[in-house]
Amino acid sequence: MSAVVDTVSAESLLLRAGQGEDEAFAELYDLMAPRAYGICLRVLRDRAQAEEVAQEVLIEVWRTAARFDAQRGSALAWITTIAHRRAVDRVRSSQAAGDRERRAAAEADFTMDPVADAAARRIEHRQVRRCLKALTELQHRAVTLAYYGGYTYQQVAGLLDAAVPTVKSRIRDGLVKLRDCLEASR
Amino acid sequence: MSDDVHALIGAWVLDAVEDDERRRIEAHVLQCESCAREAAELREAVARLSDTVVAEPPPELRDRVLAGARGTRQDPAAAPRRPRPARRTRWRHPKLRLAIGAAALAVVAAFAGVFATWQVMRAPDEDGSQMTAVLEAPDANVAVQDAEGGGRVTVVYSAELDRAVVVVSGLADIGEDRSYQVWLVDAAGQVSAGVMDPGDSSATMLLDGLGDTEVVGLTSEPAGGSDQPTTPMIADLALPA
Ligand SMILES: [Zn+2]
Repeated sequence: MSAVVDTVSAESLLLRAGQGEDEAFAELYDLMAPRAYGICLRVLRDRAQAEEVAQEVLIEVWRTAARFDAQRGSALAWITTIAHRRAVDRVRSSQAAGDRERRAAAEADFTMDPVADAAARRIEHRQVRRCLKALTELQHRAVTLAYYGGYTYQQVAGLLDAAVPTVKSRIRDGLVKLRDCLEASR
Repeated sequence: MSDDVHALIGAWVLDAVEDDERRRIEAHVLQCESCAREAAELREAVARLSDTVVAEPPPELRDRVLAGARGTRQDPAAAPRRPRPARRTRWRHPKLRLAIGAAALAVVAAFAGVFATWQVMRAPDEDGSQMTAVLEAPDANVAVQDAEGGGRVTVVYSAELDRAVVVVSGLADIGEDRSYQVWLVDAAGQVSAGVMDPGDSSATMLLDGLGDTEVVGLTSEPAGGSDQPTTPMIADLALPA
């Protein structure tokens, strides 16, 4: 399954869900729920909470589907943005896991993660790992702590013992590099 | 502030900013084409970070989500922007939608035609609790009006609380040497309710002590505001009697 096929069907399913088609939403669920749930699980590190937040996320996807505009971004970005934002909101308000545990988890090598391993054959997965490796160490750690750990850039600076403005710009530079690398490998 | 905002685009896309920064950035991105484009591109890359975390959800989640969706009314698509033929204030009772509590701010933002733009002008309401009280008031009414030249003004008004929340969003660019100013108009004339920062085209404010106010108006004034309006109102929302 290539990224392109994935994306195209996700877009048309989301657009159809936005017209109130519940069969399309059920298909969209099958395609995207493992991502939404996976994001929640990674950030929250707790299955029960991940399930609860993923449920809210997916219902929000249904509720707001009519506002999706395919000209302005992909369905993948739309759905993962909602999922990540909700998961981060939850982790910040509930401190689901101790900070040390979250930090260790956020930085764990993906290949050590059985959940990620199951999806390891996906070509997209390999691309992302390869592109993350192209980042400098500080860029890589800042981006992964923020995304997978749900930390703010100020917290990331504290964890990495780096200056706040430095972390801010490394995050941005790191994402620009990631974007360029992913685009180049299409 | 905009240099500062530009430097935060990456962190914002990763949800790695505090709530107040998030609001500032979102307000900025609505008005800044280059930041909006950069954010959209970075968002596509960030979305791919989820490739490595895909995990099979528990099977019972599917039934719960599909049942939840069946019981959830969908939001309408964002209204297309078009010129308003005649200026008229229509008030609606948004009780059912406002009753959803914490989501009320988002609802007003949606009425304003934007996802989020929360620059509180004079910060009389540090934690937003007074605004939330207006939005959740049982007698709250909401009106939306397109401003002349672009953008939109939303007023949520509670007669009981004698307060209103005004959301101004996406007004025409007026440059750094002018400010938008909000007025309370009654039979005796008009008084200033607040002046937006020079050049800003989006803001949110709490109006207290409305008294006999009949109309909430908006004008463009020299930077810093005027004692009396010096230009015609570009929006004028009549409060329900
Ligand atoms: Zn900008």
